[in-house]
Amino acid sequence: MSGRKTSNWWTFWGILILIWAAFPLLWMVSLSFKDPTTFRSAEPSFFPQEWTWTNYETVFSDELFTSALRNSFGIAIIATAISVVIAMFASYAIARLDFRGKKLLLSMALGIAMFPQAALVGPLFNMWRGLGIYDTWIGLIIPYLTFALPLSIWTMSAFFRQIPWEMEQAAQVDGATAWQAFRKVIVPLAAPGVFTTAILTFFFCWNEFLLAISLTSTDRARTVPAALSFFTGASQFESPVTAVMAASVVVTIPVVILVLLFQRRIVAGLTAGAVKG
Amino acid sequence: MAEITMKNVVKKYGDGFPAVNDVSLDIADGEFMILVGPSGCGKSTLLRMIVGLEDITSGDMLIGGKRVNDQAPRDRNLAMVFQNYALYPHLSVFENIAFPLRLRKNLPEEEIRKKVEAAAETLELTEHLDRKPGNLSGGQRQRVAMGRAIVRDADAFLFDEPLSNLDAKLRGQMRTEILRMQRRLGITTVYVTHDQTEAMTLGDRVALLRKGEIQQVATPRELYEHPVNMFVAGFIGSPPMNFVPAESIDGQLKLPFVTFDLPAEMREAVGDRHHVIVGIRPERFDDASVIDDAHRGGGITFPVDVEVVEWLGNEQFAYIPYDVDDELTSGLSELEKELDSERMRSQLVVALDPSSRVTDQSKAEIWFDPRHLHIFDVDSGENLTNEVVVAPAATA
Repeated sequence: MSGRKTSNWWTFWGILILIWAAFPLLWMVSLSFKDPTTFRSAEPSFFPQEWTWTNYETVFSDELFTSALRNSFGIAIIATAISVVIAMFASYAIARLDFRGKKLLLSMALGIAMFPQAALVGPLFNMWRGLGIYDTWIGLIIPYLTFALPLSIWTMSAFFRQIPWEMEQAAQVDGATAWQAFRKVIVPLAAPGVFTTAILTFFFCWNEFLLAISLTSTDRARTVPAALSFFTGASQFESPVTAVMAASVVVTIPVVILVLLFQRRIVAGLTAGAVKG
Repeated sequence: MAEITMKNVVKKYGDGFPAVNDVSLDIADGEFMILVGPSGCGKSTLLRMIVGLEDITSGDMLIGGKRVNDQAPRDRNLAMVFQNYALYPHLSVFENIAFPLRLRKNLPEEEIRKKVEAAAETLELTEHLDRKPGNLSGGQRQRVAMGRAIVRDADAFLFDEPLSNLDAKLRGQMRTEILRMQRRLGITTVYVTHDQTEAMTLGDRVALLRKGEIQQVATPRELYEHPVNMFVAGFIGSPPMNFVPAESIDGQLKLPFVTFDLPAEMREAVGDRHHVIVGIRPERFDDASVIDDAHRGGGITFPVDVEVVEWLGNEQFAYIPYDVDDELTSGLSELEKELDSERMRSQLVVALDPSSRVTDQSKAEIWFDPRHLHIFDVDSGENLTNEVVVAPAATA
């Protein structure tokens, strides 16, 4: 009986928290379907009285948004790919090899992760203009890598450490070169870790706002979070709120898809059965 | 097929501690060699030096006559079975076994399949080929690990305590399995274990290590009957050999519980030493009342107070305490520590015939044959009677 009671409590709190967390999201979706001219009507309602795609049409016909979407995808994917590859090698080295300055490297990585980004914006702005990479993709990818790498290295080296040494030694005895052992044994075993890290990095780059708005000025490199703040409605006299909401829904979709797609891969446990459990 | 030769091999770790110290060992082609010793004796390190997972600090390692010190593991063409199998969890059993073959370039798919299936057949893994190692039992995983080793025509097999993760019954089965496989394939095999039953039953020869040094390399029988020193004598045999401090006075040997005339040959070996350590295996004793007269002749009997008797069906052990000066046993307790056992007190462990009716807390007459005892030097622990062949007594 008491077990039943507690599980009821869990359900109750679970639903409460779910509503709490989902409310803004639902509100966002609902707003994005409301008519931009009449959404501030006299009798407010949670759901739109009239469902309309106008806002989506507005955002997708707006060059500001579509170019921002392109930039966002490009920059996030490139930054993620580079960061994952570098982090994979770096964390393998950290987990497996003994080299001088390992501790220093790790603590520096942590230090960078803790460093307030806001403090860097000013200097970066000046440096990037001097170097001529202000308002370019590369100008955003570089600082994204800086902030994404430490976290990636820390997460991935934890995954590499879990893989028994003997896997690799067995591969070497079986005739594999160090590279083959890494590629055919270590990487597949570390795949959940690699995916987790890749997704985290992608989210970071996708959602980043501060650097995106400070280091860009035009459509060339402005990403969606930054572009949203420049939104106006279809005309000057229209409130942009519903259009902004539609754009927000659009940028949320890739994140949701990614999580749904990889949630099983994120769950570790692939090494079960490697050694006597 | 290859012989493995080690010449003065040394392994020193960063802190200068020699894990393997000046080991020279010849392993003949097709021989089953066991490396055995208490934990931390360097046996696994030595094995890993053969396969190339540990660097060799100094000395030469030759496989098939070629010096391999500087060769990477993959160039040595050896197969190894790890203690926890080290199977690749993301690959099926088939791919696990095929892994070493796939690493070789230009081996046709057809041939790989044939070899893997042949190996699976020998190890009775055919029906498990599509499964993942995670779904297999301990014994099956063990066999997959062996399959990965036999599939590749390696020059030698190396086993690193392969049975220590299995339960007792399975261990016995796999032991015979390994032995049968080795006999059939006739491949040079080096097998590391801390289990003396495995060492005695599997090996053509056994190398016993202690603190990184080889104590004795011999056939299991030789090791049991002619141990070179107290360490070997104490390690081989279960229950372990009794070590009793003794005094040699005028050709007589004075043990805490009996004094008797030493056979002439032994007297010579003891020389003018006053204190010695006498080693007698528990199974060399017996209850005097169950010994028939024909046997009795060469031996001596003495009365004892039996403290505890353990009856096991096919044998029984009696524990007999005796008094002795602490001074004389100080060297012994150190040895016990090395052999991973605690020296609780001075007592004699005696294996009696199961038909013997000796009971707890009773008096008994114990018989033993002095020709079967070993006499060790107190300081060096060296076996003084190793070369001595005592002529059978006239009556026997």
